[in-house]
Amino acid sequence: MIKQEPLTHAINMNSYINNDFNNTDEAKEVCIQVKDLNLYYGDKQALYNVNMDILKKKVTAYIGPSGCGKSTLLRCINRMNDLVDTVRIDGEILLDNQNINDKNLNVSALRRRVGMVFQKPNPFPKTIFENVAYGLRIQGINDKRLLAETVENALRGAALWDEMKDRLNDNALGMSGGQQQRLVIARAIAIEPEVLLLDEPASALDPISTLKIEELINELKEKYTIVIVTHNMQQAARVSDYTAFMYMGELIEMGATSDLFTNPQKKQTEDYITGRYG
Amino acid sequence: MMNQEKLKAWIDSGTPWIWLNATAVSICLIMVIGVLGLVAIRGTSHFWPGKVMQMVYKNDDGSAPKTLIGEHIDTSLMSVAMAKANGHVMAENEDKLVQFLMKTGNRDLTGSDFGWILERNSKNVTYPKELVVIERREWGNFYGYLLSLKENGNVIAQGDTLWAKVNEKLTTSLALFEEIKKLEKKEIGAVNYSLERLRLKEKSLQLKNKLTVADQKEISAEREILDAEYKKFQAQLTELYQKGRTISVVAKIDNGSELEIPLSKIVRIYQPNAMSVMDDISFYFTKFSEFLTDDPRESNTEGGIFPAIFGTIMMVIMMSIIVTPFGVIAAVYLKEYAKQGVITRTIRIAVNNLAGVPSIVYGVFGLGFFVYILGGNIDQLFFPEAAPAPVFGTPGLLWASITLALLTLPVVIVSTEEGLSRIPKSIREGSLALGATKFETLWQTILPMASPSMMTGLILAVARAAGEVAPLMLVGVVKLAPTLPLDGNFPFLHLDRKFMHLGFHIYDVGFQSPNVEAARPLVYATSLLLVAVILVLNLSAIIIRNRLREKYRALEG
Repeated sequence: MIKQEPLTHAINMNSYINNDFNNTDEAKEVCIQVKDLNLYYGDKQALYNVNMDILKKKVTAYIGPSGCGKSTLLRCINRMNDLVDTVRIDGEILLDNQNINDKNLNVSALRRRVGMVFQKPNPFPKTIFENVAYGLRIQGINDKRLLAETVENALRGAALWDEMKDRLNDNALGMSGGQQQRLVIARAIAIEPEVLLLDEPASALDPISTLKIEELINELKEKYTIVIVTHNMQQAARVSDYTAFMYMGELIEMGATSDLFTNPQKKQTEDYITGRYG
Repeated sequence: MMNQEKLKAWIDSGTPWIWLNATAVSICLIMVIGVLGLVAIRGTSHFWPGKVMQMVYKNDDGSAPKTLIGEHIDTSLMSVAMAKANGHVMAENEDKLVQFLMKTGNRDLTGSDFGWILERNSKNVTYPKELVVIERREWGNFYGYLLSLKENGNVIAQGDTLWAKVNEKLTTSLALFEEIKKLEKKEIGAVNYSLERLRLKEKSLQLKNKLTVADQKEISAEREILDAEYKKFQAQLTELYQKGRTISVVAKIDNGSELEIPLSKIVRIYQPNAMSVMDDISFYFTKFSEFLTDDPRESNTEGGIFPAIFGTIMMVIMMSIIVTPFGVIAAVYLKEYAKQGVITRTIRIAVNNLAGVPSIVYGVFGLGFFVYILGGNIDQLFFPEAAPAPVFGTPGLLWASITLALLTLPVVIVSTEEGLSRIPKSIREGSLALGATKFETLWQTILPMASPSMMTGLILAVARAAGEVAPLMLVGVVKLAPTLPLDGNFPFLHLDRKFMHLGFHIYDVGFQSPNVEAARPLVYATSLLLVAVILVLNLSAIIIRNRLREKYRALEG
């Protein structure tokens, strides 16, 4: 099931990127680079010196015990942490070599490139159609045909079209939790972002819905760079190409998923994945 | 010992507490039902046609017995001691003194409408079918017998044909009256309004030294047209008046004196003792609808209260239009944009405390600031031609609405803020994550979702504003407004006009009226109507809110 990759992939991203070229034909472009990232909530430091590369059109999973900073790190990538008044961020995050922590950056434009799906489904109290069209309308797109087309494509992309095509004008709040979560994904991909951030997207769902979401992630990685936060190590193993283990605000270890789970380099990682804590 | 334990167990079981709760709820319910019931019964029974009795009444002072005609309104029982103290001679076997309040009408002849009589002195009570009650435009009701109908001094009907003839002529006369009223209010009113505007235009040009000969010519030409129109209407009016004055009824009252009443002064004639139950019911509804739709008569003690209903609703709507956007915008700033700190908290406390300021204080502020300072300056700047008459520098609908908007502002701010804080963080994040700015998120998602709370604020504001009287007395409400604030003359909505209000009407009719007995039932009826108006306004707001709630049902949990 989990395909074996050379051990050399483990530990440091920089090293495994280089090695990766030897291994496969496809180019491994770096999409996001996190450099010396420190994050403080008031006096409390939440992230310590995080360095990480995230590859284009791959699924990267963040695992770690609660409160380890994985969600915080994820929310740095689309500047969601701006909503917290007391937050202070040092270091750089480069998205296609552009520092997104730049004070003059257009945050809305960034968030259009980096979509996000949250832990709990959060559809707007609008119709299914309007939910998916929301991001487009915000951009001032009101052309009916274009909207209809994009909504259909997005719903198809989120494997929701067949279920929902006759219910587009129903209130989104009438859908099941799993459907809502896929709707939210459809809403995010409707504006064609480059990166999708998934913050424990399946933690509030039943097993069948979870499975559907995971299948969806597998399809989506053909088009998008995906970063997923998850509590569920099986899930990380199933859906991700690379996994980063975080603990107490630090990035402990990162590597190809198969390596990290079969041959962790750090004691803490091993303890965590063998269930000794967390 | 046993009992003590039982008592303790009983107390511990919580039963007394439940009883206490239930009692409190019951008392509240009883009070509400009592208030509404009293108001409803007293208010609605007023329109029922009472039977009119005729009796032989002998006064205690030993004067000769006389005939008395009147409607029984109320009964009072007085204890012997009380009666004696009031100077009544009581017989040995009497244990109480029964007094009747009689509405005898005929104020023009006897000086008063109402009188207390002693039951023991009344004899031979009958209810003659031929007795008539004439509702007049002046001098209140007439009670007595019809004798004849006269046209230009000649008797045209008498005896058996009289009643039918009177009714026939009265219908014509009422139609004529409607015509006169329409002519006076609409046509002549419009001409007068145009003339006044023309005068102001001329004066305004004069003040600016821009009155050219051409202008003057134009104005006088227009004025001539209007004058001609006015003369034409005036002639029509005189003719109509003449027509109305020719017919009159001759009637006799209980002491035998005769009276001639022109038909034009009569609202309605009826024979209460000859009316069947069906007649009574139809009479009741006619009277009730008159009460709802007519103008008041006889210093507000008769007729309807339509201008007051209209004024109340108008004022509440104006207030809502002002307070809602204002309150919502303030709340959005306080909750969404302002940095949450000591200053924001202080402002919030101050806003909350504003809700506790007595309303009369707002009235004083409204008069001092809005009317005199703001209104006075507006007059100086924009309406110099109207001087010395004030336009906005006097109490009026606009200032009343603004004052009440200020009074109810805290309610709207507080509930909007509450609504904003109830919206899940995930919704905001969801919108922001799609590339919406904070402003777009607010407009597209947050504000619509908070709209039920805004409506709650508005409902509370309406409930408070519609019932407020004290500040209104200072900033725009009057006892009798000659014109409604909304009419057919451009610009249709006259915010500078004074208006009537149900709450003030209750106070005025009940306590400022020259005819207290006549006014009392109207106080209840008007109260009932005020409650009904507030109820209707609130219910419509609640229905809107529930619709919105259904639409923007927030995510559970």
